[in-house]
Amino acid sequence: MTSLTVTINGRVHGPRDVRDDLTMNDFLREYLGMTGTKFGCGAAQCLSCAIIIDNPDGTSYTSPTCIVPAASFNGKSVRTVESHAKDGELTPLQKAFIVHFAFQCGYCTAGFLNESQVLLERLARTPIARADLEKTIAEALDGHLCRCTGYVKYHEAVREVILADPTRYLRSS
Amino acid sequence: MKLDLLIPLLIVAVAIPAAALTAEAVSNTPSDGLANIESFSSISDQEVRSAAYFTELGKVLTSPRCLNCHPAGDRPRQGDMARLHQPPVERGADGFGLPALRCPICHQAANFGTVPGNPIWHLAPREMSWEGKTLREICAQIKDPARNGNRSLETLVEHIGDDHLVGWAWAPGPGRQSAPGTQKQAGALVDAWVRTGAACPKP
Repeated sequence: MTSLTVTINGRVHGPRDVRDDLTMNDFLREYLGMTGTKFGCGAAQCLSCAIIIDNPDGTSYTSPTCIVPAASFNGKSVRTVESHAKDGELTPLQKAFIVHFAFQCGYCTAGFLNESQVLLERLARTPIARADLEKTIAEALDGHLCRCTGYVKYHEAVREVILADPTRYLRSS
Repeated sequence: MKLDLLIPLLIVAVAIPAAALTAEAVSNTPSDGLANIESFSSISDQEVRSAAYFTELGKVLTSPRCLNCHPAGDRPRQGDMARLHQPPVERGADGFGLPALRCPICHQAANFGTVPGNPIWHLAPREMSWEGKTLREICAQIKDPARNGNRSLETLVEHIGDDHLVGWAWAPGPGRQSAPGTQKQAGALVDAWVRTGAACPKP
């Protein structure tokens, strides 16, 4: 057993003893009832289970949860899909996903949303040239699988959000 | 059963295990094991003995536990079948994966379930690729500082015999076959190979 304290969506959970073989996905879904994070392939191949991990320096990255021990998140700050909308108001990214019909069954959406959010925050810190945008989006979303084949629509939705605020995400030159 | 039929059957029943025992004696070690250094003492020619040490070590170097992370391309392989890694990760600039999917995100400090782990889980550099090469080619490569991580032969002994990441090959967790023998035996083979002139197997 390991004592786990983790900040999820700004709220501290724990300390709580968890089994060393408990995955973060089971901790979120079964222990905390946060079922927005999905369990897909169980082998980190689809990334529908990806959540955001926030580093102390303000940067962030995503991690699958289905194959990663909950105990490894001890002391970390993470965000799940439940963190995006505030008081029922969807973020521009969520709205764009809907406008572009990016998802059908929606099982992969939480992972795509978290990955796209990390991308937006990265570009806000380090804007890129417009010419690099398509490649950057494709690389960021690479690895996330959508059985309904919504890849292009996800890509277009993310692009729309970025182009709607070019001074924030893109370099002027 | 007639006696003239029973006798040949009995002969066959005795002959099969005897043949298996003979084959065992020739190979000297099971496929999942490594021969001890002492078993090479009958080879009087030092160069031949040195090459024989390396050939035995080759069982380790060409096992999936080593080859999977010494791939020919930029994608590691996985499992005993050495299939391409899923998810489709790539080497990245430093061997730890692309920025969006770094190796340590999934590979923790230790094995977790069926996911292998080590504190510095990463791919061997591109110049240290072994996949698809003959043992002779690997031998020449592993002696070349430009293609072995700038290691001397003496450091190779430490790398194979003591390195923690290399040692994972003998503790790969469930669902994977361990590298042959033990890390100590592998280290002893490298040591003996170096001390005898680090000869490579003939083509």
